[in-house]
Amino acid sequence: MKDKDVIICRCEEVTLGEIEKAITEGAITIAEVKRRTRAGMGLCQGRTCSKIIAKLISKYTGQPLKDILPSTFRPPVRVVKLKTLGGEDSCFLEKQK
Amino acid sequence: MFPRKAEVVVIGGGVIGSSIVYHLAKKGLKVVLLEKNGIASGTSSACEGLVLLQSKKPGVHLKLALESAKKFYNLKNELNYDIEYRNNGGMVVIENNEELKAMKIFVEKQKSIGLEVYLLDKDKAIEKEPALSHDILGSTFSPLDAQVNQIYLSYAFINSAKNLGAKIYTHTEVTGIKLESNKIRLIETTKGEIETEIVINAAGVYSPEIGRMVNLDIPIKPRRGQLLVTESVPKILNGVLISAKYIAAKFNPSLAEIEGEGISIEQTASGNLLIGSTREFVGMNKNTTLEGINSIAKHIIMLFPQLKEINIIRTFAGFRPYTSDGLPILGKVKEIEGFIMAAGHEGDGIALSPITGDLIAELVVEGKTSIPLDEFKLERFYSFK
Repeated sequence: MKDKDVIICRCEEVTLGEIEKAITEGAITIAEVKRRTRAGMGLCQGRTCSKIIAKLISKYTGQPLKDILPSTFRPPVRVVKLKTLGGEDSCFLEKQK
Repeated sequence: MFPRKAEVVVIGGGVIGSSIVYHLAKKGLKVVLLEKNGIASGTSSACEGLVLLQSKKPGVHLKLALESAKKFYNLKNELNYDIEYRNNGGMVVIENNEELKAMKIFVEKQKSIGLEVYLLDKDKAIEKEPALSHDILGSTFSPLDAQVNQIYLSYAFINSAKNLGAKIYTHTEVTGIKLESNKIRLIETTKGEIETEIVINAAGVYSPEIGRMVNLDIPIKPRRGQLLVTESVPKILNGVLISAKYIAAKFNPSLAEIEGEGISIEQTASGNLLIGSTREFVGMNKNTTLEGINSIAKHIIMLFPQLKEINIIRTFAGFRPYTSDGLPILGKVKEIEGFIMAAGHEGDGIALSPITGDLIAELVVEGKTSIPLDEFKLERFYSFK
């Protein structure tokens, strides 16, 4: 297996080669890499791959790692069933009574 | 090297600016696009990819959307980029008699403009979308409604524009605009200055800031839309859907407060469902809220009970560039020679992007457009002052 075929984002199966290509084409933030490649759009929402992607951006652009902004983290913290958010067993029901 | 001169400068790298820069480059102009963040980093990625005709106001708005829809058919080949365009039709789901009455009138108006659209009874609606609840009353259907990957659409325009010689500068913010006897002369940015005689304000919710640089009052307000994203699931929807309340809320904000905001849903090419959205005026606050998410989740479960067991992986919010009459602001501005507006599409930017780019390029090159822009001029707001 070649290095470029190594999977960086497991959830969306995005390879090192795809991420390097996105960076060389001008994606210089984690969010830009995500929008181009889907890396970080899957079940874990970039919790694993975003750090590797930050390092890759730093390597290719020369930006210090500390200046590479994390992608926006949004609720939910972990996956949650739709019925939990809005169904009969909704965790919100209490609040609405 | 940052360019010192351009024939046209486009401000804003969302779907509208991207389409404009492509269409200008296609006409052979030396054009530069300036974007303060990344391509499609704001509204154009924090939205759905609906290319809806049924949600457009019967009149000039729908006429514009019909022309835009035609341009989508060939866009994938023209731009040589897989924009995940799928034309499987769309429905407006009707839940009660009030909505049925309103939609009957709405559909007749749309037909008179030339939109192919029908009313379906409950059985026919469920036949088309088997996941729909049996508690609905019926729906409309238009075979012209479609969907696209809203992010790839911007990239596709930018990619082709670059190939045609356009210069694209991301992470480059416009800090000032210099005039000379009410004519555009120079654009100041964080990367340097560009001389130009024509500037296009395609900055969406930020277009009022650009307007202020030349003392123009641009009445566009950010309207927040919150959305849910599900995990990728096997095909569960055939086309795109909105609820009749969506149409009511879009055109009558006071109704949204009483009736709820209405809902839209699509399944992307990757299998994720995108479910939206709220319509809120909260300034530049881009957070998602418990109330917003709960209201969307409750409503979508009513329409599609089987979605209950699907996992939500993300919530997000974006700003729609709202105008008080629901129409975008397009065309020249009479006070300043060389200043052209192309913003304020609210939730219609994706659908209207091809035609907007085409018309603005026509306006720049020929001085007039094949579809009149009179009703979209900024001046329409002046009398309200």
